[in-house]
Amino acid sequence: MAQVLMKDLNKKYDEVHAVKDVNLHIRDKEFVVLVGPSGCGKSTTLRMVAGLEEITAGEISIGDRVVNDLPPKDRDIAMVFQNYALYPHMTVYDNMAFGLKMRKFPKAEIQKRVQDAAEILGIQELLKRKPRQLSGGQRQRVAVGRAIVRHPQVFLFDEPLSNLDAKLRVQMRVELKRLHDRLETTAIYVTHDQVEAMTLGDRVVVMKDGWVQQVGEPLELYGHPANRFVAGFIGSPAMNFIEVGIKDGGALWADTAGFRVKVPANRFDRLKSYVGQPVTVGIRPEDLHLATGGDAADATFDAVVEVVEPLGSEILLDVKVGASSMVARVDPTVRVKVHEPIRLALNAERLHFFDKKSEVAI
Amino acid sequence: MSVAGAVPPLLPVESRFRATRRHEIRLAYLLLSPTLLLLLLVLAYPLGWEVWTSLTDFSPLNDGPPTFVGLANYRHLLATEEFWRAATVTVVYAAVTSVVKLILGIGFALLLARPFRGRALVFLAIFLPWAYPASVSVIGWYWTLSPPIPTAYSVFMGTMKYAVDGAFGSGAWAFLSVTLFNVWRGSSFIGVFLLAGINAIPSELFECALLESKSRWRRFRLVTVPLLLPFIALAVFLSLTTAFADLANVWMLTAGRIAFPVVGTQAYWLAIKAGQFGPAAALSLMLVPVLLAALLVLFRMFDPPEASRS
Repeated sequence: MAQVLMKDLNKKYDEVHAVKDVNLHIRDKEFVVLVGPSGCGKSTTLRMVAGLEEITAGEISIGDRVVNDLPPKDRDIAMVFQNYALYPHMTVYDNMAFGLKMRKFPKAEIQKRVQDAAEILGIQELLKRKPRQLSGGQRQRVAVGRAIVRHPQVFLFDEPLSNLDAKLRVQMRVELKRLHDRLETTAIYVTHDQVEAMTLGDRVVVMKDGWVQQVGEPLELYGHPANRFVAGFIGSPAMNFIEVGIKDGGALWADTAGFRVKVPANRFDRLKSYVGQPVTVGIRPEDLHLATGGDAADATFDAVVEVVEPLGSEILLDVKVGASSMVARVDPTVRVKVHEPIRLALNAERLHFFDKKSEVAI
Repeated sequence: MSVAGAVPPLLPVESRFRATRRHEIRLAYLLLSPTLLLLLLVLAYPLGWEVWTSLTDFSPLNDGPPTFVGLANYRHLLATEEFWRAATVTVVYAAVTSVVKLILGIGFALLLARPFRGRALVFLAIFLPWAYPASVSVIGWYWTLSPPIPTAYSVFMGTMKYAVDGAFGSGAWAFLSVTLFNVWRGSSFIGVFLLAGINAIPSELFECALLESKSRWRRFRLVTVPLLLPFIALAVFLSLTTAFADLANVWMLTAGRIAFPVVGTQAYWLAIKAGQFGPAAALSLMLVPVLLAALLVLFRMFDPPEASRS
């Protein structure tokens, strides 16, 4: 059973409180992604699990052992670093065999494990080469191979794909996912890229300023963000935010200059207490489309096109709504011109509301 | 109609390009010439003169111009017991001091590698011996080991000197002082030099080793040392060359009175004191092939040629 438990985990560097009260239960065989902007504490948390950072307060358990005082070597973990951390003076084979050699594995066993891992990763022909003779993608594979041969209880990934070019990153992402399905080992993966988080994670942990903002399955975070930060972080292009006032006029209206839409009935209860107060409304670009005759008038608003970004599969329109800017994702067949006034419609069920001060979802 | 092998005439654009290129190359040589001239004057000419002199019997004591004697000077040197004594002492001195300096230097570098409270002060303490001008610090050492003012301390030092000289022959104390001074300065330099080398190693490589091994010694031996090897090779070479050419230190410390001859001092004595420029030149040049061989071995051992991409 290789579950990882973090209880009230804290990390302080002199004045900086980098990780604040993190409580996580990572289940056996689960692939959990820690995601967030630079400085949010995700790497620090990972390094505390690895044993590369001292734990200021709290507890980490791997399997059923508390590992706070265990040296990294004894925690039965394997780590893949952002910069691969391959030993330049050793061949690929020796790099992959290093950990096993340190643990005094018999030669035959080492050879078998290295060959198996090399086969899984498709690097059998590279075993005699030195790291400087490999491309970035190949080096990353060797780094992953070095972790695989250890058959650890938990894999730790520290932004392993950040140094690869975009195309390679997409390719490696898929390979990593396949690898996880095949190896069925608990994994903790750190990244700043929300796309990686969404595609790789069984569950995603969004962090900011040392706090855990939300934990959940990718689609849960997408559809039901707990606060404005998670809403704006997950999803690309990012969610549009607009400051509105809640007005009572028969039904509840979200109202500001140039934007006036009706609050869907199922939200009345929660928004009633916000009448007369400012609220942040969020709507994703994909939930906006060009208004047609079939759209209800109370779910449409005017906008002026500022930039047209044709992507082939869709078109992104950067528009001005009153004093705010928004991005709308529309059908590739749409033909609009810059400075053209258009009318946009939104899917009212997909509106998100956030308390303006606390930024928590309403 | 083109003939096979004929070069097509240049287009007007191409020929203009070629002319500019030629002009640029000429300008480059012109700009380099002051440096080249300086190098010729300061390095090539003295070296050339020395090689030439070593093949003659040049001496202000001879009547008439110097005559070419070929390798006679070298043959004569190889036959004298003095030369072999000086050579042995020089080699032993160079080897021992290099090893000690290397060990100390590695120790200093490892000590300074990780941050700790007061590290800046420790760094200063380790760095000063080399940074401080030798001609001044050597006086400090001289007075430490041969105090000029009679005190209880000077009596103690005198006794030590007497004991050492008695055990190893006169001049041994002086030689020991020279060695200590050389090690003191050299380990300082190597420490800082290797610290730069350690800082050049990405920290992730050390972290990765931390994940695989609990033993600091093993991590040091299997990760730190191989990655530092090119730096160590250079540091050792520098130690060897300075030891071999340590005329200045020995001379300054002992005012030339040292009885344990080192090749450098012997050459100086031969040339300036005895006026035998030819043999002196030959003697100092004897060091060169040995140094070159050492350099070759060092770099072959520590920085092996890369395997070609398959």
